[in-house]
Amino acid sequence: MSPAQRPPRTRGVIALVESSCTVCMLCVRECPDWCIEIDSHVETTPATEPRGRDRSANVLDRFAIDFALCMYCGICIEVCPFDALHWSPVSDYSGPTPTDLVHERDRLARWEATVPDEPALDPAARPDPDPVRRSPG
Amino acid sequence: MSVVDSVRQALGDGLLAVDEGFGPRTLDVVPELWVEALEAARAAGAVFFDLLTAYDLGDEGFAVVAHVATQDVAEHVLVRTRVGREHPSLATATGVYAGASWHERETHEMFGIGFEGNPRLEPLLLSAAAPQAPLRKDSVLVARAARPWPGEKDPSDSGGRSRRRRALPPGVPDDWPVSSETSES
Repeated sequence: MSPAQRPPRTRGVIALVESSCTVCMLCVRECPDWCIEIDSHVETTPATEPRGRDRSANVLDRFAIDFALCMYCGICIEVCPFDALHWSPVSDYSGPTPTDLVHERDRLARWEATVPDEPALDPAARPDPDPVRRSPG
Repeated sequence: MSVVDSVRQALGDGLLAVDEGFGPRTLDVVPELWVEALEAARAAGAVFFDLLTAYDLGDEGFAVVAHVATQDVAEHVLVRTRVGREHPSLATATGVYAGASWHERETHEMFGIGFEGNPRLEPLLLSAAAPQAPLRKDSVLVARAARPWPGEKDPSDSGGRSRRRRALPPGVPDDWPVSSETSES
């Protein structure tokens, strides 16, 4: 069965939307396997107005998931407050050595293109309060 | 006669409780009548031996559980007993269910529980260097003690300033030797 034919929310690999990640560390701390590692630094933007305040933001340096440790529980995806993590149905990403299963941010970001649209709502479901892209029912 | 009734008749006061619960019925039996309980279950049709395992009850010792079912799986029960923490031991069930031998080996290896009468309790799954009885709750999980918790990093604390509260990994007991990048400070 090709990834596109698999049922919705198939747990193949985890995709990262880097622009949505705020380095809140929730996924790292909730992961039961300790398989997510994040490095970051703080960047400060000077105040643009007189008597304004400097703004500081966390900038992601490293985001890695070790799929050799991951047990595909999906807690990181559930806990992410900004939907930076998604299930992709792609499952053929094994490699010749265990370190090939450590996906750094560039590889995690590439999975985003394989994330399917949300499945259509059930006919009797209440209207979607927060519309997202959905595949036709 | 149902499996539960058969065990009740054979054990009398040796059947301490029947837990209806949500899953299959659980028969708590005294450890001295462990084999008799399994024999009575088998005599009532529970010829299918599914599994035997244990779990750690802390100061109360260990619970040993066997799951058996009738051949059509119309009735299945858990038979459970308790053994003490010091030199835990139980009579072997291999005389009733030959397939229990593998499970007793594994339970012996993982919990250090002896099964009197089972001649083949040699190690099954673990290497010689593995910790003894790793599924006991007082066994330190080396992977949790040797590796720093990746969640300890504080993203707003890149300058090495002292923080108000050190984040601790959930689920790791306080008395474990938790490794940490900042523990020397």
